[in-house]
Amino acid sequence: MEPQLSWYLALSAVLFTIGVTGVIIKRNVIAMFMCIELMLNAVNLTFVAFASFFQDVIGQLFVFIVMTVAAAEAAVGLGIIIAIFRNRESLDVDEASILKL
Amino acid sequence: MLALLFILFAGMAIGCALAVVAQRNPLYSAISLIGVFVSLACLYVMLAAPFIAAVQVIVYAGAIMVLVVFVIMLLNVEQEERRRNRLKFLVPAAVVLAAVLIAEVAFMLQSVANPTPAVSNIGLTGSIGAQLFTRYLLPFEITSILLLMAIVGAMTLARRGGLLSSEARLVPGAQQLPLSMVDPRATPDDLTLVETDSSEEAARLLGVDPRNTERD
Repeated sequence: MEPQLSWYLALSAVLFTIGVTGVIIKRNVIAMFMCIELMLNAVNLTFVAFASFFQDVIGQLFVFIVMTVAAAEAAVGLGIIIAIFRNRESLDVDEASILKL
Repeated sequence: MLALLFILFAGMAIGCALAVVAQRNPLYSAISLIGVFVSLACLYVMLAAPFIAAVQVIVYAGAIMVLVVFVIMLLNVEQEERRRNRLKFLVPAAVVLAAVLIAEVAFMLQSVANPTPAVSNIGLTGSIGAQLFTRYLLPFEITSILLLMAIVGAMTLARRGGLLSSEARLVPGAQQLPLSMVDPRATPDDLTLVETDSSEEAARLLGVDPRNTERD
């Protein structure tokens, strides 16, 4: 039996839900950041699955662009995390609930 | 055969994703996340997208996760402590709502049309590049601008501030900067009070350009 499109969509939904759960229940900034990466990857899987099953290259192009956005997010996000840690000596998001440094 | 491979890689992906959330040590979370990325790359190969699979391994599992692990090591992150569960009474409601959601998703996926994948060359590097540089050139250029903004933003965040905070300015005459005007982030521990006679001397001692101190 060949894998169906719905299998990939279900897997993507599961991965996205795990990512959302992580963002909600984690308090460490870096762990939340990694859960966001997980959500981005779940969306990428949907794009690639649709591109493959409908024979359209656009889906894969947008996966490429999403990866670029993720790289930019990693650079700026980790810079922000280091700035927060330098000021507060902590990575707990509840400590950084006031955005003022 | 393909279904078995799908189940194998999907199981790996879900297991590693659960480990990302369940681990308390961020370093173990990062290693599990690399497992998710690699199994997703295997799924991309099964979906006839070898270029995306290679980029997934090189950019995600390579570059981004190295950056994350580097930051974890740099900040010497301690383990997350367990906290009290204050919303315990909401657990049954959450279970019921999750069951409803899963049933809805399963119903939707039942009705998804199942086109049969044909062997094609849409995932090859050449066909992606041809589309990327002709029809989808504008998103590609926007991406490059986004990367430039990310570089500038990361450098701005990483730059160390000067000794003076933004409220501080040099006034003519005797220079006695109150401690409140000195940026505490850049202050060394053994800060001493120095008296000077002119703005120029104070600026020289502080290492700033006196012409730039007049703010409007």
